[in-house]
Amino acid sequence: MPTIAKVWIEEDCITCDACQDILPEVFEVTDDTSQIKADVREDGSFDRNTGLSAIKNEFRSEYSELIEEAADACPVEIIKFEYEGGAAEEAAEEVAPAAEVAAVPAAVADVGADAGVLAGVLSGDRSLAIFFGSQTGNAAGLAEKTAKYAVAYGLEPSVIDMDGYDQSKFASHKRILIITSTWGEGEMPDNAEDLWNATSASNPSLAGVHYSVCAIGDSSYDEFCKAGEDWDEKFAALGATRILAMKMCDVDFDEPWTQWVNEVLPRIACVDSTGVFHEDLVEAMAAYGAGDEDDGADEGDFSPPSILHATISLTMRIFRYDPIMAQSGYDTIAVALPGHATIEDALVAIKREADGSLTFRSGNVAGLNPLTGVKANGRIVPADTTRICDLVGDGDTLTVEPLPGYEVLKDLMVSYDRFDAARTNSKPWLVADPRQGERLASGAPMGVMDSADATSLHALADVGSLQLVNAMSDTYDVDDVYSGPGIALQRWVRSQDPRSGAPHVKKMFDLMQRKGGVWDEADISSIHRHGIDGSQAADSLYAARARLLAEFKFSGKSGRLVKGYSRSVKMSGNVNETTLYRSVLGPLGLGSNIMNGVSLRMLLGFTRNGGPIMRGFQGMLVPPAGIGKIPDMFNSKVANHHQVVAIFNELDRRF
Amino acid sequence: MVKYSYYPGNVARQSSMEVEDTIQPLCNSLGIELIEIIGYNSDGGNIIKQGNKGLQLALNARNLALAEINGHGIITACASAQGILHESLETFQNDPIALADANRVLEKTTGLTLDGSEMSTSHLLHVLVDEIGLDKVEAAVVNPLDMDIACYYGPHMQRKGACGGDDPWNPNYMEKLITALGGRPVEYKTKTSSVGNPSLLSLGDSVMKMTARVLNDAKRAGAQVLVSACTQSHSNLDTYQGKAGRVANKDTNIPVVNFTEIVAFALGHFTDRFAQLKTRAMLIGS
Repeated sequence: MPTIAKVWIEEDCITCDACQDILPEVFEVTDDTSQIKADVREDGSFDRNTGLSAIKNEFRSEYSELIEEAADACPVEIIKFEYEGGAAEEAAEEVAPAAEVAAVPAAVADVGADAGVLAGVLSGDRSLAIFFGSQTGNAAGLAEKTAKYAVAYGLEPSVIDMDGYDQSKFASHKRILIITSTWGEGEMPDNAEDLWNATSASNPSLAGVHYSVCAIGDSSYDEFCKAGEDWDEKFAALGATRILAMKMCDVDFDEPWTQWVNEVLPRIACVDSTGVFHEDLVEAMAAYGAGDEDDGADEGDFSPPSILHATISLTMRIFRYDPIMAQSGYDTIAVALPGHATIEDALVAIKREADGSLTFRSGNVAGLNPLTGVKANGRIVPADTTRICDLVGDGDTLTVEPLPGYEVLKDLMVSYDRFDAARTNSKPWLVADPRQGERLASGAPMGVMDSADATSLHALADVGSLQLVNAMSDTYDVDDVYSGPGIALQRWVRSQDPRSGAPHVKKMFDLMQRKGGVWDEADISSIHRHGIDGSQAADSLYAARARLLAEFKFSGKSGRLVKGYSRSVKMSGNVNETTLYRSVLGPLGLGSNIMNGVSLRMLLGFTRNGGPIMRGFQGMLVPPAGIGKIPDMFNSKVANHHQVVAIFNELDRRF
Repeated sequence: MVKYSYYPGNVARQSSMEVEDTIQPLCNSLGIELIEIIGYNSDGGNIIKQGNKGLQLALNARNLALAEINGHGIITACASAQGILHESLETFQNDPIALADANRVLEKTTGLTLDGSEMSTSHLLHVLVDEIGLDKVEAAVVNPLDMDIACYYGPHMQRKGACGGDDPWNPNYMEKLITALGGRPVEYKTKTSSVGNPSLLSLGDSVMKMTARVLNDAKRAGAQVLVSACTQSHSNLDTYQGKAGRVANKDTNIPVVNFTEIVAFALGHFTDRFAQLKTRAMLIGS
């Protein structure tokens, strides 16, 4: 390994300490920047070494490897060095989540390729069968990855375990890739042995098949990659067409496998739906897969939308909380990510590459996990399915914080105990009356509903995560008694469920109406703005409130507010706050406003910045005022006021 | 001269006359002509909606139809009003059944019908930045603000399409405007959080805590003054700030002014009120 002669720090250090942690003998991070220590430098200075003083000879061989490691780890790529002899080396990639994706550039580049000349091969059957023979899982993993990249070439890959496969079906495929390991002394892996034996015994014709083999093994064995060789020769012997020579991979199989994938996919993708290989199109297909040509799709052709986005460089501010030290703050780290990476991808990468102590809830491969929610630049979103490119652009900052309203356990991980307790206490699940299984006189079963009702019911709370809906509310984290809009949705759904028994419906209504229920939400618009789920939840909350007002006859302050407000608008066309305060607060409430200083603030002019003080006095002196900013005792009616009255009479005569 | 149909909202001609006082001269200074919507009614404040969604929609359909007669899009200085108007218009533009329902009622009760396809609604803030331009605003400044100012947007209009070209989640139009007016914008965390205004009368402590959270955040960030783009929320932030501070046990003492006031002051209107504001800011401090 060449030794490093000079190392220096460029501007914009974020003082993350990564270099100092790796090599404290060379790097020291001050308040502003990392610096190169005096002891290791020829000039004996302590600064960023932008003057390019050399490293003392006695340290070069000892520290070279660690300097490279520190440069690799630097998230903002400002550690630069020069090898002996003058060859400069850029700092390595910054924290690079999805490193394995970057290893196959052809498959991750933006799709925007020329489908015009390829229209013929890209149409019709595009299936690709990828068989794996695997003893320890390596070949299976490579098969999965190969399938992932095959999509970029317009292929429809299937990954097939050799175990249990019927050899007679080989001939039904036009495109086959085989990835297999070798076990023991040149033997097939366990999952491939039966298929090998059956194929060898029956020797089916594979005349219409194009194929290639990637064999992985260990070159220290005499029969290196023997299983792969066997399949390769067998397929050729059975009449299949080898589309690319077999690739033999040693224990470090990533690199040769990558080469094989980059070569074989453009070739096998040029096998058309009739089984004809178009070698003249391989170059165009490679460009198509890499997405570096113009979009020349024929008019009228279906072009699948791209889900791949260019790399985004951003600064992530991540909330950290240490429950043992009871300390909190934010970590800042510069990262570069594929735009289609999710927040969770970023967090996983940071945890893996920079700080293993970072704690957050992880999703799963099956899709949205309702508990992975975070607050990202103010939005309440599931971390496992929210793409970075949907939140920020290149050069932006992404602040990731725990969900509000829940107790933070550590870093971004919150406890959902509050939600679970509210749910358990209210039991918003189905309680039928009579119990399911009984029948009506007509013979129809009780406790079931038709599909239209089921769809309607489902639509009332069709949100990805009720826990996240709770966190969307700006009220939830200031009101400990409030069970939250997510719980309210569950109660609302159950109250509308035709299978619910009457006592249970009544219980749901009572829970929604009382303290902690839907009226505890101070501002539904704070929920409404949180995307589709927030909008859906808000609509249901409004519907629930309307139902409760009818059920409980506008009782309570909230009921009086809606009724008073509506009547005020009906009477004049506009709100009269005087009558509204009086009808909602009552005499005691009005009195308390005088006592608690609200009225005083108005009188002293705080509310009008020196506006005509007589307006304030008017509010104070003319009964029933004294309640905030009250300019008029009675509204004048708007022009054509009768139209407003008519609208009310047409739509709601309760007001 | 840019022309808009002017919707004052629910309180600008009631308890918040200071908005009405200031919006007219500031618009004159910047070449915006406000055309009265004759006979406009309340937008329902998202309170009527709690009892009857269709009723609130119909009331807004009437306002939109009246503005349509004027031939100009609607402008308002209240974030809450802009949120409700925009949501109503969006419903009518995207849901022909809702539009037909509203028109059936409108035609029967008023003789009006709403087309809505060419209609728009805007908050004054977005008109100043997107249409008038910060350069023109800056050129019209007579009294540079020269204060540390926190901007409050609230949640109501912070939705895609309702806030012009601003970012709904991390808005900065008001900060840009304050800079153009010679002030120093102060960043703080809760500038789009709700202060619970729709429940000011019906909920007690939680609304006060929400109000105190915003005021305290702004104050701790070093603001001398808080400017509210929501006339409705201004009531919480200003009139109730003492009570909010006591309930939440937080320092909430900070002058709060409406968006139209601060712009009008900077453009040279109501210099006596501006002087009083500066005195209050100086006395209260940050």
